[in-house]
Amino acid sequence: MLLREVEYARPASVQEALRLLGANDGARALAGGQTLINVMKARAASPDVLVDLADIGELRGIELGSDGTLELGAMTTYTDIVDSAEARARPILAEVCNQIADVQVRNRGTIGGNVCSNDPTNHLPPLLVAIGATMTIVGPGGERSVSAEDFFLGVYMTAAGPGELLMKISVPPGKGDGFASVPIGKDGTCIVNVAASMVGSGVRLAIGCVDSVPVLLKPESTEDDAVRSAVQNANLDPPWDVHASADYRRHLAETLALRAVAQAAGRN
Amino acid sequence: MEAVSRKTITVDINGERYEREIEARRLLIHFIRDDLGLTGSHIGCDTGNCGACSVLVDGTLVKSCMMLGVQADGAKIETVEGLASEGELNGLQQAFSDHHALQCGYCTPGMLMSATALLRENKSPSEDEIRKSIQGNICRCTGYVNIVEAIKAAAQ
Amino acid sequence: MSETTTVTPERPLVVEEGDVKPGFIGQNIPRKEDKRLVQGEGVFFDDVKRHEMGYVHFVRSPYAHARIKSVDVAKALELDGVYGTLTGDEVAILTDPFFELSTPPGANIKDYALAVGRVRHVGDPVAAVVARTRDLARDAAELVEVDYEPLPHVLDGEESLKDEVVLHEDAGSNTVWSGMFDWGDFDAALADADHVVRIERLHFDRFSSTPLECSGCLVEFNRGTGQWTIHGNHQMPGVGAIWMAPALRVGIDKLRFVSQDIGGGFGNKITLHPQYTACCLLARKLNRPVQWTEWRTDQHTANTHGNERTFLDVTVPVKADGTMLGFSVRAIDDCGAFPRYEPLGCIIWAQVTPGCYRWRNIRVDFTQVCTNKSPVAPNRGYSRMQHLWLTERIVDIVAGELGLDPIEVRKKNYVKHEEFPYETPNGCVYDSGDYSRCLDIALDLIGYSSLEEKQRDAESRGKRFGIGIGSTLDSGTNNFGQSMIINPELQFSGNNEVATVKLDIFGEVVATLGTVPQGQGHETTSSQVIAEILGCTPDDVNVRAGHDTYWNSTAGFSGTYASQFAVTGLGAVKGAAEELAGEMKELAAAVFGCSPDDIELVESQARIKGNPEAALPFMALGAILNANNAGLPPDLDVTLNVRYVYRPHFEKPDLERKFGNLTLTYATQIHACAVEIDPETGVYEIVDYAAVDDCGNRIHPQIVEGQVHGATAQALGAATHEIFTYDEEGNLLTPNFYDYHVPHAMDMPPMKNGFIESESPFTPLGAKGMGEGGGAGIHAVCAALQNALGSRGEGPIVWRSCNPYEGVWDLLQKPEETRKLVSVESR
Repeated sequence: MLLREVEYARPASVQEALRLLGANDGARALAGGQTLINVMKARAASPDVLVDLADIGELRGIELGSDGTLELGAMTTYTDIVDSAEARARPILAEVCNQIADVQVRNRGTIGGNVCSNDPTNHLPPLLVAIGATMTIVGPGGERSVSAEDFFLGVYMTAAGPGELLMKISVPPGKGDGFASVPIGKDGTCIVNVAASMVGSGVRLAIGCVDSVPVLLKPESTEDDAVRSAVQNANLDPPWDVHASADYRRHLAETLALRAVAQAAGRN
Repeated sequence: MEAVSRKTITVDINGERYEREIEARRLLIHFIRDDLGLTGSHIGCDTGNCGACSVLVDGTLVKSCMMLGVQADGAKIETVEGLASEGELNGLQQAFSDHHALQCGYCTPGMLMSATALLRENKSPSEDEIRKSIQGNICRCTGYVNIVEAIKAAAQ
Repeated sequence: MSETTTVTPERPLVVEEGDVKPGFIGQNIPRKEDKRLVQGEGVFFDDVKRHEMGYVHFVRSPYAHARIKSVDVAKALELDGVYGTLTGDEVAILTDPFFELSTPPGANIKDYALAVGRVRHVGDPVAAVVARTRDLARDAAELVEVDYEPLPHVLDGEESLKDEVVLHEDAGSNTVWSGMFDWGDFDAALADADHVVRIERLHFDRFSSTPLECSGCLVEFNRGTGQWTIHGNHQMPGVGAIWMAPALRVGIDKLRFVSQDIGGGFGNKITLHPQYTACCLLARKLNRPVQWTEWRTDQHTANTHGNERTFLDVTVPVKADGTMLGFSVRAIDDCGAFPRYEPLGCIIWAQVTPGCYRWRNIRVDFTQVCTNKSPVAPNRGYSRMQHLWLTERIVDIVAGELGLDPIEVRKKNYVKHEEFPYETPNGCVYDSGDYSRCLDIALDLIGYSSLEEKQRDAESRGKRFGIGIGSTLDSGTNNFGQSMIINPELQFSGNNEVATVKLDIFGEVVATLGTVPQGQGHETTSSQVIAEILGCTPDDVNVRAGHDTYWNSTAGFSGTYASQFAVTGLGAVKGAAEELAGEMKELAAAVFGCSPDDIELVESQARIKGNPEAALPFMALGAILNANNAGLPPDLDVTLNVRYVYRPHFEKPDLERKFGNLTLTYATQIHACAVEIDPETGVYEIVDYAAVDDCGNRIHPQIVEGQVHGATAQALGAATHEIFTYDEEGNLLTPNFYDYHVPHAMDMPPMKNGFIESESPFTPLGAKGMGEGGGAGIHAVCAALQNALGSRGEGPIVWRSCNPYEGVWDLLQKPEETRKLVSVESR
């Protein structure tokens, strides 16, 4: 509940933020703080420097391009997405964001923070992998794009490395999406979650909470047998914790995959 | 600019201006309670789940245990102490009392701030909307039954 | 027999402005506590500050069981801003071990304010650091070096019985207490049975009501007088002082407990004496006020849990017509690393030995053991809830296995309305009630008659549906003589509570209570009783907020616990107000030159009946006696300042037969619950809920309902997600509200409430204590799940009190594993 000593800076530009992050190995970006502050309260991790991104305008904003692509600044909060008219271009985003925790968390928590922390129980990593989002990362060497399925590398580890920042997330338009989860209590932490997205006549599905990164599967069709078979062939090896054994998580993954795919197909 | 371990911050709380030097690591809730003596907002957990610390920062409902004091520099903060006018309870506070929406009163300040945020945005919330608006506020005494009734009544 | 009235509001009752009828008892008056609490102007212990105070942080054991080889505080002391430390070695020198309630071997346990020599659960405090700020105290705590030698640990009650790993070498055994209870003639009942239903195992899981405000205190030490002042949230300071004073080697009066507002207690703030003692030692050693604020993680890991109880070899003789003749069981209670308030839990369940039923032949073999887990405390429903859950599971399983209707079995076996007051097989007297009637109301509220239709509808959506009943009792106002059944050497019996009421110089009515409210509205209900007796309004009555042992308003059992305020607290208030009223009439009579019988107290005046002109306002009465008393008759013996001790009538129990009346009142809760299970995942939802309660005369109906709502929410949490689970190393896996999921607003089912009022013949106001409830929600959810998963002799058996999603999934997947727990022998 009481943090270790830390230094704090609040730059006004991306360049300044990168400079501060690069100047100290123990520097970390502070987005909404809904994960990082908790981690620091428990002293599970204690960065030396916090670089607060709150004043950086370039990281905010939701824009809808003429081709229908949605561009979400990394500092977009869940509430911003829920309230956004532009974000309706991809309705699943607001639907899922609206299930995250509670209004206080949604008001401060950011999509950038959600994906960069990559806690295995987070909602957005599997969702963005399923819908084929693209992440734009900025570092000392400039900007680069990484697809969502290549972005998540391990627990709390993503392609946005030390000294880099996630700038924005780009999402193609679409509505053939589904999301199914079993949370602990309403809008609680997910025990297992699955996101599905129609691509042409095929489907992509991404399973969360079962591995260090979302598990992306491309079943042969949206038929139940094909989905089941894809999940079983993935040989999932989920962790055990107080809420679920490995077997139960494996079972939920299969059941929720069927539901997410049915939802996606139904909305296509 | 350089990163600093202490900073002088200025905040407006319930219309009053405060300026203090604090450590960067100081949580906003501890700043409000211990440094400024505004003990109406409470602490009930260490992981940002219970919402007893809920306040409005620049009109936005947040859990002040998940913000550093330095992040609130320059902000306009509203806490439970700002709801009544010179000892006269506002409609929401009166509704809480009328409907027995508090027993021990520990979660109440946070509940009131969450309800305040809801009613500013939604003048006639449904029961589902009310429950969702206080989903981030844990109460162990009331089972939420009368809290929901009170907020409904205050909306009318 | 007592009259009953039915009150079934459709929605919770609301206070209407200006709608207060004369006669305040039974009305919903605005709560006095609310004005300050809704403005954030309550005073909870962490709100109290003292100049130059120090903040305490405890260094806690990371091991479930270990020898402490050394504790080195040198580096911590070097940190700028650290004021001092305290270690187990100092504690062992400066204090004596806390008084143990048990007989040997439990009596020989040595329990100190900090771990001495050994740590016995993860989170056991080993040292304390005090610093200028909270953060510095935390930083310094990390610099304390403790060298541990880990020992084998034991985390299971049955395993602990073997004494292979012994926690307390002074005791030599993990058994805290053990005893056999045998009433009626169980063997004859067994011989007489047409069926014998056997249940191999049932388990009541570990959870607690986790009050939102954590424990804590701010302690000041006055060097000149040797007086400690503890601003804290201890909910039973009388007992706290009984533990702390001898340990600190001082008289009881040297410990002053002060509290104003407390953020919930639910029994979890009764055994705070170890941490409080550490803070007292620090305040004295460092010559400055010291403050300890418990963190949520500490509350879950180290203070405190509800009793965990395993029931083995349950045997139930039943007649062909469904009459249940009795039961026998072997109970193993796991009280964690230190007993503290235990082993009282080993007898307290006996207040409700037969539950709601007319069983006459009951045998209980009860053993309590220590394990390397958090110590327990009298969590809401203390010890009765676990036992009542057992009786409800028995009734449900018996009905299921014998193909009988669980409603009919209950009605057949319930104590009948005409039988009250009803003496149970062990001599407890159930004062009043009408269980069948409550059940009928509950069934009506939950739409039981359309059960089959709802089941078909659920099935059409691929779901399984079930309705279950939870009947339970809230026994209140203990006879502490039951402690002598546990240990004949103990000198505790009966019960009491104190109140003072005075008329001040300007006519103000001022009352103080011995109780320690944590949201139950004591200021409000006290003012209702006083106002009605003195003939004024509740607004005229000033009840001092909170509790302070300096008010001379406490006795040995003072506090707020065990569902007794409406009886003991208000009994004391009533007694004090009646005595004061008598004195006011005597004084008025002396002034008017008439008889006190001619005086009435009305509209805040003392006046001659039938002659409203001859009136003395309260202000005049107060002023005359206190400041203007020349000329009063010399033999007028009034002070207008009354201290009254309410003492319920109890006898000492018969220790040999373990027989006697253990509680004064028995409130009823009959709840019904409807669940819908998704058989593909085990995820279930409580889709409907009805709660019918009977606590006799309700002093403030809205407050009663509020208690019912809250108790139900806690029970539903305990039934679904709230469980304290440990890993193999003894680490608690649910130390915070992320993983220990309590109900939030969206988790609550629709709730329908019904009430009847069966007056108690034994209490001053015909009211019964009811704050704890008896865990009815847990019993009802288990019964509903059982009904949905298969009853009538097939399918799995719900054998645990907490059934999270995976638990239900397992029951669905492997019904044979739990089915084999139950067998029926038919003759």
